[in-house]
Amino acid sequence: MAVLDANASEPVSQGVQSQARTAWTLTAPALALMFLILLVPICVAGVLSFTNYSLGNTGFDWVGTENYERLLTRATYAKMFVATLTYVVTVVPISLGLGLGAAMLVHSLGRVGDIYKTIYFLPVMATLLAMAIAWEFMLHPSIGMVNRTLEMACGSWFEVIPFFANGCADRFPLWLGDKDYAIWVVCFIGIWQGFGFNMVLYLAGLTSVQRELYHAAEMDGARSAWARFWLVTWPALGPTTVFVVTISCIRAFQVFDTIEAFWPQGGGPNKSAYVMMFAIFEKGVQQNLIGIGSAITMLFLIFVMILTLIQRWLVERKVHYG
Amino acid sequence: MTRTWWKHLLLILGAIIVLAPFYMMVSYSLKSPGEIDRGEGGFFGRQEMMVDPRCVALQQPDRADIQAARTRFPGQDDGDVQAALLAETEAECSMRPVVFNYSKAFTEAPLIRYLLNGVIVTVSIFVIQIVVALPAAYALAKLRFWGREAVFGLVLFCLLIPVHAIALPLYIMLAKLGLTNTYAALIVPWTISVFGIFLMRQFFMTVPDDLIDAARMDGMTEFSIVWRVMLPTAIPALLAFAIFSIVAHWNDYFWPRIVVTGNRDLFTPPLGLREFKGDGDGSFFGPMMATATVIVTPLIVAFLIAQRRFIEGITLSGMK
Repeated sequence: MAVLDANASEPVSQGVQSQARTAWTLTAPALALMFLILLVPICVAGVLSFTNYSLGNTGFDWVGTENYERLLTRATYAKMFVATLTYVVTVVPISLGLGLGAAMLVHSLGRVGDIYKTIYFLPVMATLLAMAIAWEFMLHPSIGMVNRTLEMACGSWFEVIPFFANGCADRFPLWLGDKDYAIWVVCFIGIWQGFGFNMVLYLAGLTSVQRELYHAAEMDGARSAWARFWLVTWPALGPTTVFVVTISCIRAFQVFDTIEAFWPQGGGPNKSAYVMMFAIFEKGVQQNLIGIGSAITMLFLIFVMILTLIQRWLVERKVHYG
Repeated sequence: MTRTWWKHLLLILGAIIVLAPFYMMVSYSLKSPGEIDRGEGGFFGRQEMMVDPRCVALQQPDRADIQAARTRFPGQDDGDVQAALLAETEAECSMRPVVFNYSKAFTEAPLIRYLLNGVIVTVSIFVIQIVVALPAAYALAKLRFWGREAVFGLVLFCLLIPVHAIALPLYIMLAKLGLTNTYAALIVPWTISVFGIFLMRQFFMTVPDDLIDAARMDGMTEFSIVWRVMLPTAIPALLAFAIFSIVAHWNDYFWPRIVVTGNRDLFTPPLGLREFKGDGDGSFFGPMMATATVIVTPLIVAFLIAQRRFIEGITLSGMK
């Protein structure tokens, strides 16, 4: 080959040129769409976040950082940040923990565990809107299965627990109609829906942990299962964990379906479940306040990008470490 | 041994919680309104004949009907004829709850149309994603050209952007182009899958160069190499990607909710279900749950049939 190249450098460089041309032709559609659908909109949102633009109006004014100031000072938006953060901070660690726990249990059972794997994965596949409506029925204060099940505990020793005592004496919570419970119910459904996905990722991670490592750890004096977990399993699952955390965070930031299904009028009792994605939809689309909607979009993007960059950095460090 | 039992106990408890809403959804889709209200009837309900009140209301015998039917009931006065006719209508309008719920799901709203829209949208998105991503992935993996690093860097950067997050500017752009309430609005924002490009590129990196050189020797153009050599070798990765894409877009509610307003002909399944919810009338719990069941079933069945593929596909996403 080398001889051939030396003798015929002219045709080869032509070949390289034509290859470059083909390469650009092949990537052109993807590049064009990346610009049009991903990069231009970000710029558009960035620009509009400094204006008071509305769809249908001919002109608009520059308002400087007014939209951002509003986001950081008004009480409604404070509720938005609180609800979003509550959701992310609750759903991510719990769905990670449950996913890992389920994966370890299922893994240790061998083939028998496959049935649980199938069951736990079902919510990941199911249309979240449909399941949100099903949950709404489950949580219905009078005909719902949840409160009916709770009522069965009345009159038994369960009444020692204050929650049951209050529920049996008066009534059990309204769940979705109660501002103290609403966001937690949404979190619960988020965990219910998402932990199966994490479980599958962890299962893949677990199968790749080498057996010898456990033996080595045992020789080194790691007698208890707990010690082996911290010495071998957890570090080996590091890259998986980093990935699971990032993807769960991004998904958690984007929660929308359940909120809109439960409270189409807006964000739950006393705005206790007014998450960012719903705010973008309500302000930007329903109320046509595009400036403020764009400002929320920009903050949202910044959060997500920071998260992903942290993930990249962590993964790269792990790779060098390993 | 006891340890194993504890594990099963814990996992079964989890399974009950995970399955409860599915159980309830299917169970309600089988029961009559009364049974739902009183919480009776176990899983299948008693399946006693029930009368559809709306059907009766629609076919309420009027004066003309009574006149016409008089010959069939000789020697009876109007009241009796009316009662007899009403009894006939009620007999016509009575059915098993399961039939009631599922027939209402399909007749009350054009559910078939919604399902068809769902198929059109998810399939178009997937096909376009592949047509765009595959050549780009091939070029990034196998061709040498000035600027390749920059293009790949751009792909990596775009991986940071969740498309849902930039929904608002996309919506404005589509509105400006007059494209809201069209299939294009449902499809266009998803035509580029940076994740798809990345996934395929990683896969193509593992394909031996000899295969491509051999194809070039045979005189194939780069373009036909993409479709006739790379595409067949990439089938496993494509399947994994298909699962991702189809699950995401069949279930998506947020984007259709934004760009389809009012035009029922374009409703995707989740939008159709939501419309049912808007009806909000108590006797419609059964049909609503029937609709939900119909929408959720295709993917669940596909998953149960091809579990391993699905799980491999999802796992592949963790390779980043």
